[in-house]
Amino acid sequence: MTPGSTPAACAALLRRDLTLAWRRRGDIAMPVLYAVIVTTLFPFAIGPEPALLARIAGGVVFVIVLLAILLSLDHLFRGDIDDGSMELLMLAPQPLALLVGMKILAHWITSSLPLIVVAPVLASMLKLPPEAMPVLVIALLLSTPLLCLLGAVLVALTAGSKRSGMLLALMLLPLCVPVVIFAAGALAAAQEGLSWVAPIAWLGAGLAMALVLAPLACAAALRIAMDT
Amino acid sequence: MMTAPHTPALLEARALCFLRQDEPVFGPIDFALHGGEIALVEGDNGSGKTTLMRVLTGMLRPGEGEVLLDGAPFSLDTVAGAVVFLGHHLGLKFDMTPRENLRLAAGLYGLRSGTDENAVLREVGLAGYEDEPVRQLSAGQKKRAALARLLLLPARVWLLDEPYANLDREGIALVNRLLEQHAARGGAALVTSHGAVSFAGGEPRRIRLHA
Repeated sequence: MTPGSTPAACAALLRRDLTLAWRRRGDIAMPVLYAVIVTTLFPFAIGPEPALLARIAGGVVFVIVLLAILLSLDHLFRGDIDDGSMELLMLAPQPLALLVGMKILAHWITSSLPLIVVAPVLASMLKLPPEAMPVLVIALLLSTPLLCLLGAVLVALTAGSKRSGMLLALMLLPLCVPVVIFAAGALAAAQEGLSWVAPIAWLGAGLAMALVLAPLACAAALRIAMDT
Repeated sequence: MMTAPHTPALLEARALCFLRQDEPVFGPIDFALHGGEIALVEGDNGSGKTTLMRVLTGMLRPGEGEVLLDGAPFSLDTVAGAVVFLGHHLGLKFDMTPRENLRLAAGLYGLRSGTDENAVLREVGLAGYEDEPVRQLSAGQKKRAALARLLLLPARVWLLDEPYANLDREGIALVNRLLEQHAARGGAALVTSHGAVSFAGGEPRRIRLHA
């Protein structure tokens, strides 16, 4: 790969973001730890009845994963804007949307992938039947990138303001609702032995759309944020 | 309307001014920077030097007037790596080493032919610090690590906002040397400073901003 070409730029940025995340491993562990703690507390709070736990397991895991992603989302562009790296990215020969897409990919790998790995363990702690486990993983594989992409647009939109955390949570809520409904719907259908393809297909369609549109929206929003 | 000059200016501003909430921050100013030219933007604190730089990079939209690169109107979408900007924020990741920081910049912008990361780090006086995290370098060394990026990238126009800040006498000489080499290669540079600056190679062009 010749330096300066589009693949080289994408690889360099991805590598940098992953390296940075690795140097701050503690920050990656935080959402996972949070998910583990909350899931552990659930049976203590509502009582250890296997039937009840199995019924709520799917919903609980999805909501916890969603909140854990929300925790880490705020840092997505903050560091780059504060230290001037964003200017470097904006003036680069490559389209900003593509570079932003790489940053979102790196964020998904560091924030969501560990959660997807521990999610089956969490779900089995809540007595989710083993036959529903593949559906849980598929639903998470489709819904977490979708949430990261939607969240990234909002992070970019609020990047210009100093205290964007609250605003971000408030704005992200309505966007999360359909994702949670489809993901949990697929899992509920699988638990009852029904076909779970339709809700998964909806998630896939949403993801396909967000993959194309969200980086473009992010790039436009970041330009506005830097225009101050 | 007029005969085209033999070569269009590398960077040109025509009646450029910038308004913030209808208050003019600077301008209107006109200048044309040809290859091999270095201009010094002077002005007191708050006279809009940094704002001018950000307008010239395309990150801020000018209120009136236009900026031309190679004779064509330019925006963030068409700049294509021809311009490199070094501002107050150095664009360095503190958790990474100078070498790793340069590697990202080279991945994005490409390499100037005949240079590599080790050579430019040696040139800015960071030999031996290539693999120290930037966090552990002094303010002046951080600045040098950022200056190394200028040498590594093929950009023809340098926009340097206060490049002399935080540098010792030797560092100031280094910036001057880099600017001279850049001009000799046919590049252009715009440098801001609020203080008196002694360029090694005689009197530079001056662009004055009034508060």
